[in-house]
Amino acid sequence: MQYDLVCRPASTAVRFALDAGDSITCEVGAMIAMSSGITVETTSKSRGGGGGIMKGIKRMFTGENFFLNHFTAQQSNQTLLIGPTMIGDCIHHPLRSGSMVVQGSSWLASSSSIDIDATWRGFTSAIFSGESMFWVKCLGTGDLFLSSYGAIYPIQVDGEYTVDTGHIVAFEDTLQFKIGKAGKSLVGSFLGGEGLVCKFQGQGKLYCQSHNPPSLGKLLGPKLKPR
Amino acid sequence: MLDPNQQFRGGVFHHSIPDGRIGAEIRITPSEIIAEPSAEALSAMDPSEVARLPRWVIPLSECQVDLGGASGRMVFCRNKERDLTIFCEERGFAAMLGDRSGGRISEQLHLVRERQAGENHRFRFWLAVGAAGTLLFGVIGYYSVLAAARFAIAAVPISMDEKIGSMAMQTIEKEKKLSADHPATKFTTEIVDRLKPHAAIPEMNFKVIVIDSSEVNAFALPGGQMVVYTGLLKKAESGEQIAGVLAHEMSHATLRHGLQRVSQSLGIVAAIQFLIGDAGGLLALGSQAAQTSILTSYSRQSETEADLEGARMLHEAGLDPESISEFFDKLKKEDGDIPGVLVWVSSHPLHEQRIESIAKFKSTLGKKEYSSLDLDLETVKKSLE
Ligand SMILES: [Zn+2]
Repeated sequence: MQYDLVCRPASTAVRFALDAGDSITCEVGAMIAMSSGITVETTSKSRGGGGGIMKGIKRMFTGENFFLNHFTAQQSNQTLLIGPTMIGDCIHHPLRSGSMVVQGSSWLASSSSIDIDATWRGFTSAIFSGESMFWVKCLGTGDLFLSSYGAIYPIQVDGEYTVDTGHIVAFEDTLQFKIGKAGKSLVGSFLGGEGLVCKFQGQGKLYCQSHNPPSLGKLLGPKLKPR
Repeated sequence: MLDPNQQFRGGVFHHSIPDGRIGAEIRITPSEIIAEPSAEALSAMDPSEVARLPRWVIPLSECQVDLGGASGRMVFCRNKERDLTIFCEERGFAAMLGDRSGGRISEQLHLVRERQAGENHRFRFWLAVGAAGTLLFGVIGYYSVLAAARFAIAAVPISMDEKIGSMAMQTIEKEKKLSADHPATKFTTEIVDRLKPHAAIPEMNFKVIVIDSSEVNAFALPGGQMVVYTGLLKKAESGEQIAGVLAHEMSHATLRHGLQRVSQSLGIVAAIQFLIGDAGGLLALGSQAAQTSILTSYSRQSETEADLEGARMLHEAGLDPESISEFFDKLKKEDGDIPGVLVWVSSHPLHEQRIESIAKFKSTLGKKEYSSLDLDLETVKKSLE
């Protein structure tokens, strides 16, 4: 399987060149175009293994779809073009060990060898940060494609790093994520407009996005059709 | 007991590694923590790079531990120079470290945990107060939504049942479906047509197909589509017994047990979907449920409801409500020991109770002269041989 990112960075799509037997798991609705030798299978399961209904439901809580689409090439020289719902960038992250924690709507596609599950991030962070209670946990070895709202930028964290809520795309399992205040005092933080922020601790890769879907949502709110 | 040769899955941070991180297999000897690249990590690397990779070793005596990671439970071991980190999230890793280091590392981990807890203490307190309030709000909301779900089902149009039913129908093996003009199909359709005017929702789009299979089974899908297996037709002694089964199944459809089943087993998600009217999500859930046959295995309460509603339909149609009990009895007496084939009976347990409650219910319906279905079951059976 080969891929390239086209039309970067404002409205990125991922183009896959698939050989017979190559398979990609995508977010439902991500497909833009494909050759005729590709079959699509829609299930609630990850390709690798278990899951089914419960995993599907958990995934719904993350803001992802209940279903996953598995695209499998039946012949060689097949092309599959996928893209995110929101305008923005996509990146490729090779997952070689451990897992990647991905913010709900940022997961776009992954190799079928990667298991897609939801992971509980706790009530407190959800309530106070506006982040989702569940995040998507990608486990296994393979390729991961993430999408962002606006530009996406990787950060190699070593020590501590602070990101405003809503700007997190994904982070490696070796990073610890905590909600904290931006300023010295809680009141000051809110007055400063930053409110609570997400603090990362440890060593590992973090992907952030330049724009923040929730604030866009507030701006456009009533004009958009619900999911 | 700790297995001294246990391998743990984890990883390593070191500047010698391309990208800085690699998945690793970790062992803990009495004096060292040893990490070697995992097979998966190696397979993804260039062979020339692999050759340059060392084995990473941290002597237990100089190991500094820390806790963290996305789960908060990942153990990080660093060497004295702090340029090498071996990490692992697996169960038993911390215990093994503690064991091998004679308790020194356990002590360190304990201190780390205390420090982390202390750091967050005050902040956590206020978050917890807020969270508790929100949780309470959530719990109240949850139960109101659940209660609302039952009402919500009544508000959902029958077309929803039909959509779920059709989707479920697609998942059913229909290769051995008998044609519409087969005597068995005509026979069952005739019975459904006679019962139809007496259904709680007479305008429901009842349809029945017959599938050639030795299974003694019949079921209804939401929306009124039904499937009868030839095994059941062969076992029946009279048309009335089959009418009993069909009346019971039609009742599952008119009482909308399938939808209830979906909303119960999928709980809050489905309930919310009902309330906000997101049909797409509900349909998705429905078709999933169908695949795992959740749709056709009902609660005891639903079964009793269907029995009694079926009995009422039979009575109105001028047929003896106890013909269904007769069929139960026959199946049980004959094949009580081979439950595998008798799917319909095994999914409808508690015979005696049901037979009794049907009899009781019949006595409340008032006296009526029951007729027999003027249909020829024997010819149908012959056509199936
Ligand atoms: Zn039943």
